[in-house]
Amino acid sequence: MDEVINRNSTIARELKAGSGAEVGMQVLNDSQSSGTVGDIYVDDPRMTCRNVNVYYGDKQAIFDIDLDIAKHQVISMIGPSGCGKSTFLRCLNRMNDTIDICKVTGQIKMEGQDIYDGGLDVVPLRASVGMVFQKPNPFPKSIYDNIGYGPRIHGLNDDKDHLDEIVETSLKKAGLWEEVKDRLDQPGTGLSGGQQQRLCIARAIAVSPEVILMDEPCSALDPIATAKIEELIDELRENYTIAIVTHSMQQAARVSQRTAYFHLGKLIEVGETDQIFTAPRHRLTEDYITGRFG
Amino acid sequence: MTRVEKSLARRYRQERNFKRLGLGAILLGLLFVSFLFISIFANGYTAFQQTFIKLDVFYDPEMIAPVGETDPDVLSAGNYGGLVKATMRELFPSVTSRRDKKKLYGLISTGARFQIRERVMQDPSVIGQRESIWVPADDDVDMLIKGHIDLNLPESDRRIKDDQLSWIQGMQEEGRVEKRFNTTFFTAGDSREPELSGIKGAAVGSFFTLLICLAISFPVGVAAAVYLEEVAPKNRWTDLIEVNINNLAAVPSIVFGLLGLAVFINFFGLPRSVPLVGGLVLALMTLPTIIIASRAALKSVPPSIREAALGVGASPMQTITHHVLPLALPGMLTGTIIGMAQALGETAPLLMIGMVAFIVDIPGGAMDPSAVLPVQIYLWADSPERAFVERTSAAIMVLLAFLISMNLLAVWLRKKFERRW
Repeated sequence: MDEVINRNSTIARELKAGSGAEVGMQVLNDSQSSGTVGDIYVDDPRMTCRNVNVYYGDKQAIFDIDLDIAKHQVISMIGPSGCGKSTFLRCLNRMNDTIDICKVTGQIKMEGQDIYDGGLDVVPLRASVGMVFQKPNPFPKSIYDNIGYGPRIHGLNDDKDHLDEIVETSLKKAGLWEEVKDRLDQPGTGLSGGQQQRLCIARAIAVSPEVILMDEPCSALDPIATAKIEELIDELRENYTIAIVTHSMQQAARVSQRTAYFHLGKLIEVGETDQIFTAPRHRLTEDYITGRFG
Repeated sequence: MTRVEKSLARRYRQERNFKRLGLGAILLGLLFVSFLFISIFANGYTAFQQTFIKLDVFYDPEMIAPVGETDPDVLSAGNYGGLVKATMRELFPSVTSRRDKKKLYGLISTGARFQIRERVMQDPSVIGQRESIWVPADDDVDMLIKGHIDLNLPESDRRIKDDQLSWIQGMQEEGRVEKRFNTTFFTAGDSREPELSGIKGAAVGSFFTLLICLAISFPVGVAAAVYLEEVAPKNRWTDLIEVNINNLAAVPSIVFGLLGLAVFINFFGLPRSVPLVGGLVLALMTLPTIIIASRAALKSVPPSIREAALGVGASPMQTITHHVLPLALPGMLTGTIIGMAQALGETAPLLMIGMVAFIVDIPGGAMDPSAVLPVQIYLWADSPERAFVERTSAAIMVLLAFLISMNLLAVWLRKKFERRW
């Protein structure tokens, strides 16, 4: 907050001096009530989050976050450890429900429907907001069953042939088909780390979600596997909306169009990725991306 | 540098001592276990053999029934005891006095007459004919043949008298005495006569008891564990329940026996000495073990699997039944088998509900009075006859064989289904 005030007073001085007036107005408009710098709104949002607060028992983990997630875009969430970016991500498909003491307030809307509304069932929500986790976590079942599990429980397939088709297209979209097409009956846990992670992505795709959440999907992978996943994320953007939490700023810069910077549970700055990495407007963002802490 | 080197020697010495200490503990344990096994085996292996005596029986129509008789009632009413006695008198015509005859008859087990009756009932055409059959010797003769009777003792202190000795020697010279595999031990129920007693009644009783125990404790235990671990909120009440379950696991088993006596027998009026009540009591006793093992198995399923299932939209119920339970099941089964092994070896609570009764018949179901293996061991250990000493050890060997195979099964299951992530 102090930073914002300082900046605003600088702008005021600039305004007084009569130079850079338009830029100054823009910055003032961008500063929302929550204190986030940058434009939280997008023209074509898939999900809109307003005043999101998350509490773990008495401890507040996330403070008043407002953020729109645009369709067919990759938004990356960066920030130092413990800044709440993963917590925020897990709010988007209500994965936090599994933690007893976790309480979420505020509004997260998807297609105009509040996902925290009491009447909304969490099962279809998770089918339309898929998730890929930090550590590859294939089921200890065959590759085929890993992919087929989601469609099966949701009754998405008409018959066995249709399921075969879903499995094949999902694996193709995840770029894994060529590597595993001859051994679909072998356990998914027998694949390499990078393959396992792509298997998990294929598993998420198989239930035809609209949004895919990725929680540091490459942190357990080597650079080559990471490159493949990043390439894949870029391809998936065509059909899906992707929100990715990452510790690697290079990765955020490579795969995302928008970037949100979190700090101590607050959304400090959000904007076009290029802008965030080349011309951050907030001191904290600048300090983080230039490596002064994190 | 020198200071480091100085302390280095001490550190290595400590490490060596630590290793030695551990090795010593293991060796001591092994020593005790091998001592136990050797003493049981040394005492018990002879029980798997039994002395038999060959008799030339004349199926006397006057004593049994007229030739050609087939009515089972008439056949079973025959004087088979007299037949055995007559055969013995025939074998040793010199024995005449009443006292000596009594001693002579004592060489043959009382089971011989039942064996002969069986033979006649099966095939009535033997009446009027002569046949050689092997009948079990009395347990004292058996002990003598196996060398458990000290012949240096004065005659009055011996179970086998001098003239009996000479008769036995006479029969041995004629090749009428032989040690054979003791099938009776595996096919008969309990008996007052050691040579006629067996463990089948107790083994079948144990089987029914464990069946009831498993049928109750496994589903209840697993359901309780799943509820506590996966569904129940973590609050003061569930903490209290957890503490109580852990406490129950440490309650002396005899208390469960008293509870069973008060609740199942006195309140619900179930019969005494039956495997049903035994199984119920043992189920109460085993439940904490199974719940604790099952909870540990559920805890060991990595949360990432749960997240993966929830992440593709599985409901909590589907997550548990499709993913968590199958992965936890080997651990649950292991815990259950170990609990069952514990229940198989349990004696004290069963004494309380009357399973200590002397029961000759082999139970046909869970509602028939019966003994169980450990109680049978307890009963035999209490018997004064020398021949029951080896049978006690033999029964322990059988019980240990069951326990070891159950534990091996548990280890095998664990190894087979062990998963690494």
